[in-house]
Amino acid sequence: MKYMIMMFGGVGASLEGRSPEWISGMHALLVGLDAQLRESGELVDSQKLIDPTEAKTVRFVDAKAVPTDGPFAEVKESLAGYWIIEASEERALEVAARCVDYIGFPMEVRQIMDQPPST
Amino acid sequence: MSGPDRSVDDLLRELAPRVLGRLARRYGQLDACEDATQEALLAALTRWPADGTPDRPEAWLYTVAHRSLVDHWRSDRARRQREERAADPGDARLLEAAVEERSPDADDTLVLVFLCCHPALAPTAQVALTLRAVGGLTTREIAAAFLVPEATMAKRITRAKQQIAQSGAGFELPAADDVVDRVRAVLSVLYLIFNEGYTATSGPDLHRVDLSSEAIRLARLLRRLLPADGEVAGLLALMLLTDARRPARTDPDGALVPLEDQDRSLWDSSAIREGLALVSDTLGRFPVGPYQLQAAIAALHDEAPTADATDWPQILALYDTLERIAPSPMVTLSRAVAMANVHGPTAGLALLGTLDDGDLASRSHRLDAVRAHLLERAGDVGAARDAYLRSARATASLPEQRYLQLKASRLPRRS
Repeated sequence: MKYMIMMFGGVGASLEGRSPEWISGMHALLVGLDAQLRESGELVDSQKLIDPTEAKTVRFVDAKAVPTDGPFAEVKESLAGYWIIEASEERALEVAARCVDYIGFPMEVRQIMDQPPST
Repeated sequence: MSGPDRSVDDLLRELAPRVLGRLARRYGQLDACEDATQEALLAALTRWPADGTPDRPEAWLYTVAHRSLVDHWRSDRARRQREERAADPGDARLLEAAVEERSPDADDTLVLVFLCCHPALAPTAQVALTLRAVGGLTTREIAAAFLVPEATMAKRITRAKQQIAQSGAGFELPAADDVVDRVRAVLSVLYLIFNEGYTATSGPDLHRVDLSSEAIRLARLLRRLLPADGEVAGLLALMLLTDARRPARTDPDGALVPLEDQDRSLWDSSAIREGLALVSDTLGRFPVGPYQLQAAIAALHDEAPTADATDWPQILALYDTLERIAPSPMVTLSRAVAMANVHGPTAGLALLGTLDDGDLASRSHRLDAVRAHLLERAGDVGAARDAYLRSARATASLPEQRYLQLKASRLPRRS
């Protein structure tokens, strides 16, 4: 089974009031987890998105699509990055819990739907 | 299975563009010639380590590639004939006779390079095709290097070859008055490949081809083909002198280490020696160009035993020249750093101010990153913190973002 583990927020929010040591610790945790998941063969993909303040949203305005500056959701609810791992749900939750224990912000775990292979 | 023999691998990569160049010059069909060359490389990769490398490896490869091309045409023809129920024995014999080839022409590789960097192609297509046809990398390797699915890269390469065919470009050297422009295009493709490798987050992925080393290898090849072009030498020197610092650019945790904090004992001294020799050999002998100037600047950094010993006045003078012959906002940005080191942060900040209304302010995080550094040095820590954070939000590079976040967190908030 494949699961997507999603992280939310932007540069400002997760950083506010944190010490340099805390920030270094967070980077070490994320890099370490990434390496561990790669090493174990569980990692399918992992990507970090540019800060949500840089996002553009295409909206339907006056009967046509119009690009506007800014993310779709609030910055703190915007997707920041994700891991896709091939593992049990229990394992996916465990990976998320290790991050949440440190960072304090919630993370979402969702199964990726099966689809026939593309030709 | 053990990995391929390093020396066989190197030899094949060196011979691949020569074989492909010869085939393509004769038959023009880049697509078919490329498939045939890949088949010959594959045959060599399986047979040479077992049977030993042949005495004339290039001729061996050419013969095998040529046979494969003829076979391909034959089966193509046979299929057509079956379909059309027509029989016409004819040109297959002519093709067979063509196996006896004239002496190889050194220009073939150069023509191939020009073709891969054809102006009708988008930069991503030029890069992919150059790595495949000139670099001899497999589609899978190129896809892995750029972190895209193999099918995507295969499509990109196929489309690039179709576009070249449609553009009507023949397998011949460009006209004399086009050559300078075409060489510039090739150099910018090589520099793109180099920078992709240099700025990429270096994962522990063993299958990822090292694009910087590949760009350096291709630049050496180009220098052999165009020994009298100062900019070719300049680009090679620039790559060597920049790449030499790679071991010191990240700490063991993968965090970025800026130039002034790098452990210079980790720099690759043989790459620096080679780069310095190229710079001193080139400057003054050929008309000066942007790559030579950037190489000369990189050389001054590499020659300094400590960051404090850097010859900033000389670097500033070189940036002045660079801005005269090839002005761009990025050059102004670098000149502001040199200016700050010679005349103080306030002078640097004043120069940065001239960029505020330009293109760079809206599309690059670098302006804010440089401004943050200079503000910090000028003692305006609150404004520096804000600029670090703005830059961290705008950058698309994860290691850079982490570095900028850390810099911001070390400064007190603006009250």
